[in-house]
Amino acid sequence: MTSVRATGTEPRRRRRKPVGRTREPATPGPASSGPGETSASFAWICGLLQAGDSFYPTGSYAHSFGLEGLAQEGVVHDRATLRTFLLLSVLPALRHVDLPLAAHAWRALEQPDWNRVGEICRLSSALKTAREARAAAENIGRQRAELLAGLRLDSRAQEYLRHAAKENWPFSPSVSAALEGRGLGAPLEAVLAAVAYAALASLLSAAMKLLRLGQNGSQSLLTEALSAVPAMITAAQAVPFEDIGWFNPWLDIAAARHETADGRLFIS
Amino acid sequence: MAEFSGHLSLRAAARADGHTVLAGQSFRAPYHLSKPYWDTEARALLVQVVNPTAGILAGDRLESAIAVGKGAALVVTTPSASRVFQMKGGRAESLQHFKVTDGGWLEVMPEPLVPHRGSHFRQSTRIEIEAGGGLFFADLLMPGRVAHGEAWEWEKLCIDIEVRLGGELILRERFAQTGPELRALAELAGSGPAACFGNAVLVAGEDHEGAEWRKAVAALHGDGLWIGVSPLRRGGWSIKLVAADGMRLRRGLRDARQILAREFPRLACDARKL
Repeated sequence: MTSVRATGTEPRRRRRKPVGRTREPATPGPASSGPGETSASFAWICGLLQAGDSFYPTGSYAHSFGLEGLAQEGVVHDRATLRTFLLLSVLPALRHVDLPLAAHAWRALEQPDWNRVGEICRLSSALKTAREARAAAENIGRQRAELLAGLRLDSRAQEYLRHAAKENWPFSPSVSAALEGRGLGAPLEAVLAAVAYAALASLLSAAMKLLRLGQNGSQSLLTEALSAVPAMITAAQAVPFEDIGWFNPWLDIAAARHETADGRLFIS
Repeated sequence: MAEFSGHLSLRAAARADGHTVLAGQSFRAPYHLSKPYWDTEARALLVQVVNPTAGILAGDRLESAIAVGKGAALVVTTPSASRVFQMKGGRAESLQHFKVTDGGWLEVMPEPLVPHRGSHFRQSTRIEIEAGGGLFFADLLMPGRVAHGEAWEWEKLCIDIEVRLGGELILRERFAQTGPELRALAELAGSGPAACFGNAVLVAGEDHEGAEWRKAVAALHGDGLWIGVSPLRRGGWSIKLVAADGMRLRRGLRDARQILAREFPRLACDARKL
């Protein structure tokens, strides 16, 4: 007979679960049911956090979304001018373009209505007149859709990729965000919040490389901008398809000039 | 006050000798049409659309449809700015529909739009170009009656444009900012209290790479003028301008057009010739 000394490193024996008193840990995936149902209904939060994180390889870190062009023109040069740009240009563009596109895509993807999805993709591309802005959106949109299809084996995303390839749809980050939301089972408001957060955080992250702007300075701007997001989400959901659109002429011109700039840090 | 339901319809076609003629035309007040002029250098027919009334008033609904056939070239201008007057109720709208067939060329370059204090106006432009067709469309916007100290004071303004090439959407823009929003953006960019905007679209086929003329147009940037050129999804370019005042804007557009005319000879037509 072999005796074993009890030590602190010995794995503790699990207690038997009292049936009916505790729940199984939430399992990932949108379609969980059974004992884990309540926890699983929040599983989409983890998915949206993952997709909106700078660690997620969408390539957005390589873009300034026009900010570098405006910095080169001397328009945005410090925290104060960056704040004005955020409030006067970035938030309205989200409110009138990116969020309504995502909302329309989220609705179109329910069944899904692929013709409508294609229409939204083409509109998303046609709304960006500056080539770099359009290419940035299309690359990020493609990467997000491919990640969703590959990492989560999402059948809707896979079908979307097949349609996009067959019908030559331009990719759209708003459509990809809606795909992620549908795949994760996230509600529309959460999807729109994630779109807004990703756009603002990416831009401010780029701003920290372009301007004399510290962590606290950028976080305070992010906090201020995010405070406007709930109202924008409500408003954006009511934008008719034919009313989607907004542009800042100075931003478009700066983005166009950035295409041929002698030096630059960012692709866009 | 009379409310107009204005109507303009033009159909340009190429004759056997290559000259463009108006094969079809009809219009109703407040539209009127000048006598067309054939520009032998640019080989384009120049037409001026005249609004003999003071401008655009509440209740006006203006519809225009211009179609250019194969081999025809048409340049449409206006002789003076379109003023959109104060509206104490109601609104006005202008719906424009342009079609260019394969081998056709259409240039639309009206004088600027000037929205007055308290005006409520929507301009909606739909452009359809068949593959092989060409277009230059330039829209200019003044902030108001600057000489009267009035700028950015419209009640509501919406200018939208949609361009399809070979049936495919290649551009959609919607300019619906409030006056205070634009004033603040102009201030941020240092364009001053009377900044004016120009929005042009050039569609001229896939075979114009554009390196040289793009460089020359980009070199116009500076001295109170912002100008940027970027390729659209396919077959065309967006050319945007912002200037500190109307004179600078017109000069910028004129200079850009002269540069473009070296590559696109139809643009050599002097739109102010009439």
